[in-house]
Amino acid sequence: MQDGALPVSLGSYLAVAAVLLVIGVFGIFLNRKNIIIILMSIELILLAVNINLVAFSAALNDMAGQVLAMFVLTVAAAEAAIGLAIVVVYSRNRGSIEVEDVNLMKG
Amino acid sequence: MHLVLANYFPVLVFLAIALGIGGAMVGGSMLVARQMPYAEKVSAYECGFEAFGDARRRFDVRFYLVAILFIIFDLEVAFLFPWAISLGRIGLFGFFSMLAFLGVLTVGFIYEWCKGALEWE
Amino acid sequence: MMNWAAASPEIFLAVAGMAILLFGVLLKKENAALCTMLVLGAFAATFVMVMQTVPQTAYSSLFVTDAFASYAKLLILAGGALTMVLSLDYNERQGIGRFEFPVLMLFSTVGMMTMASAANLMTLYMGLELMSLSIYVLAAFAREELRSAEAGLKYFVLSALASGLLLYGISLTYGFAGTMDFAKLPDAVTGVDGVSTGLMVGIAFVIAGLAFKLSAVPFHMWTPDVYEGAPTPVTAFMSTAPKVAPFVVLLRVLIGPFGHVSVQWQPIIEVVSIASMLLGSFAAIGQTNIKRLMAYSSIGHMGYALVGLAPGTESGVRGVLIYLLTYVAMSAGAFACVIAMRRQGKSVERISDLAGLAKTDLPLASLLTLFMFSMAGVPPFAGFFGKLYVFLAAVQSGLWLLAIVGILTSVVACYYYIRIIKVMFFDAPAPAFDTRSASVSFVAIASGMFTLLFVLALGPFTGAAEAAARVLFG
Repeated sequence: MQDGALPVSLGSYLAVAAVLLVIGVFGIFLNRKNIIIILMSIELILLAVNINLVAFSAALNDMAGQVLAMFVLTVAAAEAAIGLAIVVVYSRNRGSIEVEDVNLMKG
Repeated sequence: MHLVLANYFPVLVFLAIALGIGGAMVGGSMLVARQMPYAEKVSAYECGFEAFGDARRRFDVRFYLVAILFIIFDLEVAFLFPWAISLGRIGLFGFFSMLAFLGVLTVGFIYEWCKGALEWE
Repeated sequence: MMNWAAASPEIFLAVAGMAILLFGVLLKKENAALCTMLVLGAFAATFVMVMQTVPQTAYSSLFVTDAFASYAKLLILAGGALTMVLSLDYNERQGIGRFEFPVLMLFSTVGMMTMASAANLMTLYMGLELMSLSIYVLAAFAREELRSAEAGLKYFVLSALASGLLLYGISLTYGFAGTMDFAKLPDAVTGVDGVSTGLMVGIAFVIAGLAFKLSAVPFHMWTPDVYEGAPTPVTAFMSTAPKVAPFVVLLRVLIGPFGHVSVQWQPIIEVVSIASMLLGSFAAIGQTNIKRLMAYSSIGHMGYALVGLAPGTESGVRGVLIYLLTYVAMSAGAFACVIAMRRQGKSVERISDLAGLAKTDLPLASLLTLFMFSMAGVPPFAGFFGKLYVFLAAVQSGLWLLAIVGILTSVVACYYYIRIIKVMFFDAPAPAFDTRSASVSFVAIASGMFTLLFVLALGPFTGAAEAAARVLFG
């Protein structure tokens, strides 16, 4: 790496994170097929946040953001585990994990 | 902006070489070799017999259980790396904090063991 | 040397929870009732410990124990304990009496107590997740039942999305303010050039995430379905303590670090509050299932409570704290009555099942009447004073619109509360309910006494709420 190279700017990181967040949110609402895709979208949202946190942490020269990013990683794992468990319970009862079948209660 | 991209020039070179070699191999054999396909030649070669079952069949739900347990213990270990590196600076309090955390994980482990989550049958 | 004992109530409760978990799993017998008792004992001990905490800030100012936090924690513990008592009998009769249930409730309570003490966005997030993750599992706890599994799934997906948005808000707040510390945020918020756009977006996301947990409109979609599908004690739990914790966090964040930019968040809170009050009262009218009705009722109640937050004044916060107190008592009592609705060993939950209850079971009918009157805000019951204090605070700050909408929607809400009373007293009697257990009666009577006699103890409770509110305006 030669000297004087511009680092990737903070704005670019924020843009990537914002795009990932939007993809994740749309993945939840527009997806009509499979619940597993929703789980993946949730992970995507949390990872978008992590990009934000780490980028801010580097820009501010402050460790707190990276610490929170670590916590978010583990919370995301716990959340994924619980989500998978609930999906397994649901599929055992319903025999399907299609989003359109989640409609027992309405009103 | 172009300076940033300049940093990634080696990656571009790598991509070009990879594409070149891959393309040359496939394309070269297409051009040079004689193509004489017949039934025996194009049949599946999987240790000598036909593949049985669909590769995209459903997994046993027990794999999910193993995966769930694995995710938890795998990622919680991520805390051990920063802890191990900064052990010299955080002193006894830091050391015992991590032991307390590992203790919590152990409680979870004992729970899943006693519940039989580690048994396959 | 940091004072690591500041969180001793939380640490004690968490350790007790793990001990009970090990005890339960190693005992290998049916021991749900025993474990519930142990958890209740742990709650009682924690209650005493919280009462004795001294105000201090600890863990590099990640954690604060002040009168505000203590008030919230006592309320959370009380709400958790009441609903835990409700679960004792219900779970056994429904065949879901497993010892993990009280332990999960305990962990959720630890998360809520952490939220109440949060002095940093990081602590807030960790507490919130501990609370939510436990409730996801609780909602799907009746795993043989499709409705419960579906409730768990819906709640998980939407709540995880809300957590994600909240976290995104935290990351933006952190990035544009440069700190996650509540104590340092005010300086960052009042920079040279006012509040930056990024920071405003961050605050909006944080409010949205918390509003979801409060089931305030427009983040309420999950509430009726999840309330209906989850096992009734879980529904009762969700409508008490897990409403208090996000609310006190919202108070602490908006009044504390963002107190002097209240112009920025006040419109959001006003709109959310008005929408919640309107939806809570109008959408409930057509409901036939009592758990769904309670869901809309709780949406409405959150709207009323938000009226007290909108002015951002000390009297408003005091009003909210009193409102939450009365709401927890009324809610626990009303759900005790819902849990008592069983016929031939099966739980029934239609409003028409209550028909003629006054003739078959007068005590239950009068208790439910008491709670319905109180929720409608009829004096002299507890619910009236909650509403009175928040509306007064709004009027004092000149927020007439909020107060007027609040009073009008209260009148509309009266309609469906009184409809239940009418069904119980004037309709032809349905077959009698099964005999209810002492634990359910205990919760109903205790909450009923509180609701009825709150007016006599108004002084001490108002004093406690005032002391708690003063902390935020330090």
